[in-house]
Amino acid sequence: MKKTLAVDIGGTFTDFVEFNDGVVRTWKTPSTPQQPAQAVLSGLSGSSTQLVHGSTIATNAILERKGAKTVLITTAGFQDLLQIRRQEREKCYDLTPNRRPHVISRDGAISVNERIDAYGRIITPLTEKEISRVQKLALQSGAETFAICFLFSFLNNVHELQIARALRAAGLHVVVSSEVSPEYREYERASTTALNAFLQPTIRSYLDELSEKQPDLRIMHSAGGLTSAELASERPVSLVMSGPAGGVLGALKTAQASNLSKIITFDMGGTSTDVALCDGSPNFRNTAEIDGLTLQTSLIDIITVGAGGGSLAKIDDGGALTVGPESAGAHPGPACYGTGTEATVTDANLVLGRLRTEQLLGGKIELNLERSRTALGNIGEPSSSAKSVIEVTNATMAKAIRKVSVERGYEPEDFSLVAFGGAGPLHACELAQEVGIKKVLIPSKPGVLSAIGIGTATEVIERSETILLALSDPKINERLVQTSKKLESQIQDDFSSIGKKINLIKWSVDARYKGQAHELRTPILSPSDDLASSFHKLHEKEYGFANHKREVQIVALRCRGEGKNPHIPVFENSTNNSLNLSIEIEGTPSRLYSRDNLPKKVQGPVVITQSDTTIFIPPGWQGREDDSGNLILEYKNSE
Amino acid sequence: MSNPAQLSIWNLLLSSIADEMGIALWRTGHSPNIRERKDFSCALFDIEGGLVAQAAHIPVHLGAMPEAIKVISRLAPWDEGDIVILNDPYLGGTHLPDITLVSPVFSKGTMLGFVANRAHHADIGGMSAGSMPVASELYQEGLIIPPLRLYRKGVRNQEVLELLLRNVRTPNERIGDLEAQIGALAIGAKRLQDLVTKHAITKVDFWMSELKNYAERLTRSAISEIPDGIYEAVDHMEGKENVLLPICVKTTVKGDTITFDFTGTAKQQEASINAVAAVTRSAVLYCIRCLLPQDTPSNEGVSRPIETIIPEESLVNATAQHAVSAGNVETSQRITDVILRSLSIALPDIIPASSAGTMSNFTFGSASGNQPFAYYETIPGGSGGGPNSPGENGIQTHMTNTLNTPTEAIETEFPVRVRNFSVRSDSGGLGEQQGGNGLVREIEFLTNMVASIVGDRRKKGALGLGGGSDGIPAQNTYIDPNGEETELEGSVQLTVQKGDRLRIETPGGGGWGKKGGID
Repeated sequence: MKKTLAVDIGGTFTDFVEFNDGVVRTWKTPSTPQQPAQAVLSGLSGSSTQLVHGSTIATNAILERKGAKTVLITTAGFQDLLQIRRQEREKCYDLTPNRRPHVISRDGAISVNERIDAYGRIITPLTEKEISRVQKLALQSGAETFAICFLFSFLNNVHELQIARALRAAGLHVVVSSEVSPEYREYERASTTALNAFLQPTIRSYLDELSEKQPDLRIMHSAGGLTSAELASERPVSLVMSGPAGGVLGALKTAQASNLSKIITFDMGGTSTDVALCDGSPNFRNTAEIDGLTLQTSLIDIITVGAGGGSLAKIDDGGALTVGPESAGAHPGPACYGTGTEATVTDANLVLGRLRTEQLLGGKIELNLERSRTALGNIGEPSSSAKSVIEVTNATMAKAIRKVSVERGYEPEDFSLVAFGGAGPLHACELAQEVGIKKVLIPSKPGVLSAIGIGTATEVIERSETILLALSDPKINERLVQTSKKLESQIQDDFSSIGKKINLIKWSVDARYKGQAHELRTPILSPSDDLASSFHKLHEKEYGFANHKREVQIVALRCRGEGKNPHIPVFENSTNNSLNLSIEIEGTPSRLYSRDNLPKKVQGPVVITQSDTTIFIPPGWQGREDDSGNLILEYKNSE
Repeated sequence: MSNPAQLSIWNLLLSSIADEMGIALWRTGHSPNIRERKDFSCALFDIEGGLVAQAAHIPVHLGAMPEAIKVISRLAPWDEGDIVILNDPYLGGTHLPDITLVSPVFSKGTMLGFVANRAHHADIGGMSAGSMPVASELYQEGLIIPPLRLYRKGVRNQEVLELLLRNVRTPNERIGDLEAQIGALAIGAKRLQDLVTKHAITKVDFWMSELKNYAERLTRSAISEIPDGIYEAVDHMEGKENVLLPICVKTTVKGDTITFDFTGTAKQQEASINAVAAVTRSAVLYCIRCLLPQDTPSNEGVSRPIETIIPEESLVNATAQHAVSAGNVETSQRITDVILRSLSIALPDIIPASSAGTMSNFTFGSASGNQPFAYYETIPGGSGGGPNSPGENGIQTHMTNTLNTPTEAIETEFPVRVRNFSVRSDSGGLGEQQGGNGLVREIEFLTNMVASIVGDRRKKGALGLGGGSDGIPAQNTYIDPNGEETELEGSVQLTVQKGDRLRIETPGGGGWGKKGGID
């Protein structure tokens, strides 16, 4: 078997997991934000390796607005689309609302005299003269890439293609909205097209650099699958949730190895926390917002909360304790790291004895308990303040869990909580209790689960097309059949282009009651399925009501091709560190173990340390490590 | 003082209830005004009718929702499954298109409080499609619904509903929106019931009341930051025949209390620009709320340190049966402008110049064909330049925060074509920090219909501050099929033919500070 190296570039660390004929090795190196490829290449060994990769590079490029100089080419009268957006302010109570700039400024737009109407008919033809005028302006602009987005191009893209052809003929690089995001709503489509154009050169040169060294390269995208470097370079907007998607996949696969498939994932890091729900498979949505900019792309439905181990705890003017969104970050870091003086969630865990000074955090940082006590002393009595900080943190996390479950029609108690990230396993049991979850799973390598998810993922390619027809429309069946054939053959071609076979095709439709604006992504068995009843059921589940008399409209058809899914390997525990100590947690006699040296059964209160995280098992919780190496904890209060 | 951690936790729990109602209403609403533009608000009240949590949707509903709860007490006692409907501006409403639904929430036979939502419906009958007419009395503006039970013990009062639907131009859409409002109430009720099941009623009651005290403390603390003193300001609404109607405020800050006295404001008018007192209170609350930390719960506690003196029969406290449709959307903006202007004397480093100051309400529709339709939107102008940042182009400010309806949605559903939707260059006031530019919106009609514009700031622009110049006023233009242009009044109603166009240019924001150096 070929060697596979999975790499997940995060903000602070780059995580590596190497799969070599059943032997699995994991390590971390500091990220190199200036030259992201460097950290990855430094981890490569030998050309026989397949490299699979998840990266924050697209997201970072958007956050820093570092990308290609891009021009928007759009229908005359709509040149300010990216400035006006949906015209609302982000915060309701804001006297000076200022938008964060888009990647194309107001003067970076070319208006084109053309118009297509709501039926796809040409109202204002695009003349040859106009095409050459636009071509000339484009050449003069000095821009690297051009985003073309005309009104109603999802119905008729002839004008977009004419301009694209002319610009390409002049040697210019273009991105066309009807190709990158053929969906309705002009701002969202233009924004997606602009972002894609803006990111392309950066992502392409990055992936080119990598593929030169390592031709066998696969990239993780936001919809939870791998794609080729070529397809990823064409569609960099699909990479924005690459790393977190890897985490959700890793959690799901890990849980499946322990026969659990209904899970809520809980990835708590230093500054933020990601939460997602999987009912056998992840849930998806179609739009994301990155730093105020909208993009349409299929992605796993992950909710991010601005609270993590490094979040600052404060008492506000009204006397309430708040945790986050401000964070102590890497510098100065939590008070116990030795530099900062403000209390963080990590300090609270240390004061309560859940984090231990007996072992170095992440194997590197020595923790100073006294500093934590002093910092929390600024809030109140250190121990009770610490407890309060944990309570507020868990309440914030609980809200995120309710968002992905209760708000979508799921009951949390039907799910298990899979906790990972540096801080997840410290909070998991109490958080589970808070939302009524009875079972918690801690994977054997919770600190590198995203990389594991990326390394064991399969190729996934999605394509969609706008339908915008009512189910009662006589044309709909033919349209669905035609579109499904087209999508399926496109995906077949995509898979051939990367030299892989499709193992599974999954269908879904974006549907709504005629008159609504928000579609529900409704999974269906095939395009000839009973679409109406699938939709009514889902609407009932999500919103508590369905109206069988109302007309159902199909907005888009989506096709998802998946390759063959590899299994998750079992990690061997290397017993080089075997703690087994008596400790006291909040006055209760407890035990401290290292993960490599667990007894058959653990019963809270217990703290377990391992190189990438610390696990806290409160009283009332107990469990054992199963054959897959997962620690399964259950709440059994009566015992 | 209560437990700091529990305060935060209960703030999260109770605010989530209002937020979740809002998400459900947004996703299930039918008319573009609700599903695309989010023109609605959701709130939770305790058993005494005190506001506990209101989601940050539309500020003009902020002080007005509690009024609705107060008024419906006349219908008590309550049964589980009751839902009250109302839109009467003089009985708990604001203007007629805003339909409010309120439902008492019970758990095992004990009443816990109320859930409520208010949504702007695109048509409620009256003299013009879209129900934002240029009117002189309330009866012209649409169907008036005093507080009455739409549901009694879970059973729909079909006759009330039929009366309502017979009086509006787009009954199917109304039903869809009302169902969405009812669904959202059910979600709010369920969440509150879950909370009581988990934590017991006494505990939930206790924390509802503690959160009000918490909001009160935050408000008092913010008011204490304002230097004591008396600060006065005046600005104007544009009345008929270009008469300028003053709106005056005298703001008195004393320690941790603040008083807003609107004495001196113009008399109420035989026109739609009258605001009911609830709208004026909303404007006051909005201005104070902007000075508080983002996560402050919007509840009754915020209003405790605030006193308002609102003269009766005035533009800011109209009496029945004066027309009010524009009071809610236009006069509310000017009330905000004068309050902020008075505060700018005390807080020169925080308060920006005036923003557009009009919502530029645009409605069109027709009930004559087989497919009746009604459309409503508000078009933002520029925001005012501030001490630390320039104004923003074309962004909703102050009393509204609705989204636009995408052109691709408008043209799919209505017989119009959007010809232009862009930034109106050079319309922001000049200054050290320039005011934001307004927008240009030009619509072509593809069939005969009635269109109306209700707007202000057509004569006098948004005021600059600290040496900054005023923004450019708005302009409405009619364009006939030959391209001939005619300038229109600020508020106007016309019958348009196929091929006609209307262009609305919204005002720029005021500039802030003297512009230094060379231009």
